[in-house]
Amino acid sequence: MNMTPGARLPAALNDLFLFAVMLTMAAILTTAMVFQYHGGEIPCPLCLLQRVAMFGVCFGAILHFRHGYSARHDGISMLSALLLLIISARQTLLDIYPRPGHSYIGSAVFGLHMPVWSVLIAVAILLAFAIKLAALGGEGLSDRPPPALGRPARWLSFYVVAICLINLGSVIVQCGADACHTTEYRWLSGS
Amino acid sequence: MMLAVFAALSLALLAGYCGPRWFAVWSMLVCLALSIGLFLFEIYNPDYGFRMPWLQVQLDTLPQVWPRGAHS
Repeated sequence: MNMTPGARLPAALNDLFLFAVMLTMAAILTTAMVFQYHGGEIPCPLCLLQRVAMFGVCFGAILHFRHGYSARHDGISMLSALLLLIISARQTLLDIYPRPGHSYIGSAVFGLHMPVWSVLIAVAILLAFAIKLAALGGEGLSDRPPPALGRPARWLSFYVVAICLINLGSVIVQCGADACHTTEYRWLSGS
Repeated sequence: MMLAVFAALSLALLAGYCGPRWFAVWSMLVCLALSIGLFLFEIYNPDYGFRMPWLQVQLDTLPQVWPRGAHS
């Protein structure tokens, strides 16, 4: 499958875009894990679901770098970004009303709490995908990624899978097979 | 439930990285469906669910409307 010279630039830009999206998601998820394991902030159920949605955004990029371009991969990423927007908007609306026992969970980063950041991140992802699709389209992108970006993308994909498995272990310790709570790690509390 | 969501997600990412694509996509779709179900559970569950009091308008009293000049 050879690409025409005119299709090489859009394909390279598409690879760069998806790599940047996956790198950003990986950085955000890593920051959340640092807050959890180093700062002692146990994530709430909606926070965990937001992580799931962020991993879902990465999933489309991982498929792209392994199997080549497909509009379905972009669709899964955008679907996950939409889920992230819905969950984070719901949590922001929930926490924005000050009442006893219900405040923002976790610390603020640059003055904004995690669910508010998630709203901004989800809108930015959806906007970026929309602009990418409008500018590059889908024609002529169906090819393997260029070798220069293939290896970093492979390592980044491996890193995303690894932190997902760490999160799976963390959920087992925090929630077991039951509902999750932010007060304690179920398996560490001995109850 | 959260365990099932993350298990399906891990399967999807693992299969996306080094497994068959059809299995990865199906696992991801299962994960998204479970996530939506858990999200709705979190919202509507009477024990673990959350309420947004500023949207509970059912119990509010209706405002009294007086004709012009009749309230004095």
